[in-house]
Amino acid sequence: MTASPEIDLSVELGRLRLANPILVASGTFGYAREMAGIVDLGRLGGILPKTITQQPRPGNAPWRTIETTGGMLNSIGLDNDGIEAFVAHHLPYFVTLTTPIIVSIAGKTEDEFVEMARRLRDLPGIAALELNVSCPNVSAGTDFGKDPVKCHHVVAGVRAVATQPVIAKLTPNVSDIGTLAKAAGEAGADAISLINTVLGMAVDWKKRRPLLGNGMGGLSGPAIKPIALRMVYQAAQATRTPLIGIGGIATLDDCMEFFVAGASAVQIGTANFYNPTCTMTILDGLPGAIASLGAKSLHEIVGTLTLNPPKC
Amino acid sequence: MTAPVTSHDASHAQPHFADGCQFAKVTVAANDRLARDTYRLRVTFPGLARRIVPGQFVMVRLAGLNDPLLGRPLALYDTVVDAAGQVTGVEVVYRVMGKATARLSQYQAGQSVELWGPLGNAFSPAATEHLIMVAGGIGHTPFMALAKEFLGVRSYGQRRVERAGRVTLCYGERSAEYFAAVDAFRATGLDVRLSSDDGSLGHHGRVTDLLRQVLDENGNRGRVVCCGPEVMMAAVARLAAERSVPCQVSLETPMACGLGICFSCVAKVRQADGTYDYKRTCVEGPIFDAEKIEF
Repeated sequence: MTASPEIDLSVELGRLRLANPILVASGTFGYAREMAGIVDLGRLGGILPKTITQQPRPGNAPWRTIETTGGMLNSIGLDNDGIEAFVAHHLPYFVTLTTPIIVSIAGKTEDEFVEMARRLRDLPGIAALELNVSCPNVSAGTDFGKDPVKCHHVVAGVRAVATQPVIAKLTPNVSDIGTLAKAAGEAGADAISLINTVLGMAVDWKKRRPLLGNGMGGLSGPAIKPIALRMVYQAAQATRTPLIGIGGIATLDDCMEFFVAGASAVQIGTANFYNPTCTMTILDGLPGAIASLGAKSLHEIVGTLTLNPPKC
Repeated sequence: MTAPVTSHDASHAQPHFADGCQFAKVTVAANDRLARDTYRLRVTFPGLARRIVPGQFVMVRLAGLNDPLLGRPLALYDTVVDAAGQVTGVEVVYRVMGKATARLSQYQAGQSVELWGPLGNAFSPAATEHLIMVAGGIGHTPFMALAKEFLGVRSYGQRRVERAGRVTLCYGERSAEYFAAVDAFRATGLDVRLSSDDGSLGHHGRVTDLLRQVLDENGNRGRVVCCGPEVMMAAVARLAAERSVPCQVSLETPMACGLGICFSCVAKVRQADGTYDYKRTCVEGPIFDAEKIEF
């Protein structure tokens, strides 16, 4: 398919500029090297490697994923080698890529978030940081994403030391997403990404046990798309900080729905697992879809959704 | 239990990333019932078929559906060679276990599936005087291609193995009606020994009894490859270790992507320092040395 060169796909997320709005979500793309033979990494707007923590974490006991209707539950548990191994072994690969790399970090405390951001200061190959304040699979994983005061503190704390733009990734497991989005924006987040997974459970009633090794897990995939769309729309009403939509996005239509609902960019997550080249298909069709709305740029269509359209 | 360490680092773990992987929507050429709840799916996919080697797998997904959502990992059963000698397709054999396999079993020639691969490492190509394949249930599927390769009947991908002096298949099932492709295995020229839990076919007992018999006969020589339920693989691994016979196992852990990006399909793998690490079965397996697996 030929791209329409007249359509401007570029995105401004605070201080972060991206060539296009199609990103891949943390935890669904490994460390990018895994996908190098399948996807043209250079075409992606941005890549978010798997979340790193200060110390190595083995992750949770299997089973770590369970397929559910139209989605899947996971309780991977931030399995990673820690920030030093990331800097030593994964960052050199990222430096060789032309795609902006947005490093997802998770701290157990505010200090740990700040410490990690300090460690990553000025390092080549890192375009931005995404603060994972929303992992449901580790103890205290969502604390910073549920309390607006804590969320503000951690974003401001990281913002003060980081040399890269900062994105706050929010959890849907809250009663008022607008308050959280507002807090993150006021604390200086360049962008807000949402949603992380929806806390869920799968049960084997015959054994009377949960199917996941960790009991509960995060639901992702097409099943959660309506929840994500609703929350992106609500966040867009609450803050002017640019939003990155995440949650069950698998097709070009899904992406367009998020753009008009208020997302300036999107992250493709679970769809990478079952349709590993879907990002390329989406990118092929994106200029045409924007043009079909009579627009010349992605920017023009973001947040153009109107509720209660006037009766004809 | 010792404290785990982690190491998913590409530079020293040397995983088998899916660099040669192809993804395509392909047409079902055949979907034949082999035994109770057991089917052989054949698709035309020359690019994939020319590369895949025994022990590797593909992900198969019901095209265009969101339920079931994920692909299912299925081991290479055999490749398809046309009249001109060209490798044109792949065959996988699966057992109806749940939603996806139940639907797949209803697929007719001409319908579409999405398929990606080749994925994972492979069985060792190392020469051996006696290759002993131990299969439990649907775990027999990776052994058709391996048997043909070590009997010198076929070759796969770029690899060439030295013909084994002898190849034996020890194959256990619950009951007679589940045995698939026994005649096809016999037709390759290998020594097939069967066991069933209910005694309805072959030895009445466990497949490990058959392995013990083979090792008694051959003086604990050769090497063992094994695929089946975890408890059975653990028993085979123990027996092989007792007899000091090398053993590889093909693990099947719940998998979402097959590509190494989701970190779901981990197995506990022993490290040199006595600790264990969770390794991704898809890119660091599915074939592991049995002694390294903590069952």
